[in-house]
Amino acid sequence: MNTPPVPYPDEIRVHPGPALLAGIERGPSLTAHRLQYGDLPRVDVDTLLDLVTGVGLRGRGGAAFPLATKLETVARRAGRSRRPVVVVNLSEGESASSKDSALALTRPHLVLDGAVVTARALRATEIHVVLPAERALAARRMREAVAERSGGPPLHLHTAEPRFVAGQSSAVIELISGRPNLPVTSWRPDAVSGLDGRPTLLSNAETWAQLGLLALQGGAQYRRRGTAGEPGTALLTVTGTHRLPQVYEVEYGARLRDVLPDAAAGAPALIGGFHGSWAAWPTVASARVSVPGMRLLGVPLGAGVVHAPGASICPLAFTSRIVAYLAGQSAGRCGPCLNGLPALSAALDRVTDGHDGRDRLDELAHLVVRRGACAHPDGTVRLVRSVFAALPGEVSAHAAGGCLRTPEELAS
Amino acid sequence: MTRRLRVDWPACHGRGLCHELLPEIVELDEWGYPIVTGPVTDALRADAETAVSSCPRLALRLVKE
Repeated sequence: MNTPPVPYPDEIRVHPGPALLAGIERGPSLTAHRLQYGDLPRVDVDTLLDLVTGVGLRGRGGAAFPLATKLETVARRAGRSRRPVVVVNLSEGESASSKDSALALTRPHLVLDGAVVTARALRATEIHVVLPAERALAARRMREAVAERSGGPPLHLHTAEPRFVAGQSSAVIELISGRPNLPVTSWRPDAVSGLDGRPTLLSNAETWAQLGLLALQGGAQYRRRGTAGEPGTALLTVTGTHRLPQVYEVEYGARLRDVLPDAAAGAPALIGGFHGSWAAWPTVASARVSVPGMRLLGVPLGAGVVHAPGASICPLAFTSRIVAYLAGQSAGRCGPCLNGLPALSAALDRVTDGHDGRDRLDELAHLVVRRGACAHPDGTVRLVRSVFAALPGEVSAHAAGGCLRTPEELAS
Repeated sequence: MTRRLRVDWPACHGRGLCHELLPEIVELDEWGYPIVTGPVTDALRADAETAVSSCPRLALRLVKE
């Protein structure tokens, strides 16, 4: 297994926040959780749908898919002979993201409340919780939280494989089915036909925690945070210059730069993680935390990962390292990904080393994209293309045999 | 309704039979894996069904769009 360019953290710094992360200093126990939020109400599926639709809740795993659409599909497909399934995905295979682990450490019962209220509304008889392989403490805290609960549908625990693509939804469903934890072709959405062909509502931990909060506090309270068009908050993981990853909860509409350290100022940042996009500093500085807003800027928020390495790190060289890692993380089962990502990595290395390779990169990107069972090749191509789209000055410096980020260049 | 060939990528081993049977809409990339270049027209429907049933890896499906 190759080494990730941002290491998996042993420790995470979780900052108190306005909603999900309010009151975390009181600890993660079920007692503290019930004291803060009260008992979990029982709601029927129409009420739950109204709540989710009313605040426009979107999935927080990266794709920002409207949760109401998934929920409605699962509810419509469910029946006596097709019991729906609820899956909480905490696998968080990307080492630069730590927000789901942060929730496991500080707010496990908010995550579980979201899953339980939904399972009850859908009359689902089982909830599956998928734990991360590389984050022992978060997994242990989640196990302890599950052990504290009684009543509600049974919670089944699974542990994902230590692999970047293990958290892809089809790979998670394979794992729960008892098969290798690798992506397979999805012929139909999970909400229509997921685990054993049953309608399956699979979301990551933050999505479930947001839903838990919404059920516990109601829509009016939820809409007090964020903006009128985009209510609520989002979790961000900031890495790059701190010793530990920092997890913040911010309201939609907040300035992104407010969670960045001074050392990040003036330099490009990688937004959305290893499958994300580079942004030049003026873009980072002007960005507000928003799903549609950041899409318009060309830097989708994804799962809320912001890697801001500061002015001394070369984004091209760093991207080369990420792509080499991602090539090694391919499950190796889809031909274009198995062959294309190592070739893409080699072509990017050539460009980083100052050789001509742009045409070959474009050709390979075209051969890899949308030709696999999961989002891994597409995400890798998005990252590579973003370097050329957002940081042309860095690319031309390399083509001329230099680099904007080496100390000699900075000095001259 | 338009039909299109979809590849089950983890199942496909790049044997190339689909290209032999349906060169009109299946090319091969530099590693031998299929590139589907267009929809399955009525004229190609029978050949497409043959390609689906003859794939040694059962890695092709005809899907409605």
